Amino acid sequence: MTSTIAGKSELTAEFVNPIISSTISVFDMMLGCTPKRTGLSLKSDHIPQHELSAVIGISGKAAGTLVLSLSKSVGIGILDRLLGITTDELNDEVCDAVCELANMIAGSAKAQLEHLEASISIPNIITGVGHAVHYPSNVSPICIAFDSEIGTFTIEAGFSDR
Amino acid sequence: MKVLLVDDSGTMRTIQKRCLSKLGIEDVTEAEDGVQALELYNAGTFDIVLSDWNMPNMDGLQLLKEIRLLNKEIPIIMITTEAERARVVIAIQAGVSDYLVKPFTPDSLKSKLERWVTTNA
Repeated sequence: MTSTIAGKSELTAEFVNPIISSTISVFDMMLGCTPKRTGLSLKSDHIPQHELSAVIGISGKAAGTLVLSLSKSVGIGILDRLLGITTDELNDEVCDAVCELANMIAGSAKAQLEHLEASISIPNIITGVGHAVHYPSNVSPICIAFDSEIGTFTIEAGFSDR
Repeated sequence: MKVLLVDDSGTMRTIQKRCLSKLGIEDVTEAEDGVQALELYNAGTFDIVLSDWNMPNMDGLQLLKEIRLLNKEIPIIMITTEAERARVVIAIQAGVSDYLVKPFTPDSLKSKLERWVTTNA
């Protein structure tokens, strides 16, 4: 059992650098701001850090979940930076913009891990404080924290081999 | 020039529409997935298709194959997160005309679209 968990953690760890570089690249190119990584930790639960989650499933030789977790204000900031649209509420446009950003981060990260022959799902949005997302069993997700001009956010991810 | 713009993200369609508008292209028909795009394609006349890859109902690769059965000449540009060499090869084999990987800078999108809309204007 221990070796199985270690193997799955190693697979998750393989994603760390691609996720970090993809996140920085996507924010830089699409939003014109360069986020700084402020933390990296293993999560003990499946509850994302913030109230808004864009969730992407990954399948292939690595199967798992990638979550872009952020606050309502950061989501609103993303819409403003992407399209110049200002709003005060968490509406469909904010959710779509956040989904598209998560899609690009996941796609860019998987492209750096071509040997895993991974496919990504269409992103889904989950909102609400304390919501949970699903990860493969026995996987401890990682949480990569970032700070940016539009606020703090995290990328959370966990993978296992098939 | 008539453009069929296919992406399940309204955000991405808006970004591309604004870029096309800067190039003087205003006749843009939008579709949210491959099924809707194919219906629109069959009902109308288009000069170029811009399509995402990962979409619900029918993805961009299948849409590309379906349109190529009908028309081998129309430019079809994939604008997608699918950046792996193997995926690009699959798209080329299916008849894609050009390929732009997301994320992109505004300049790279503009220069990619400019090349095709100028050539086919």
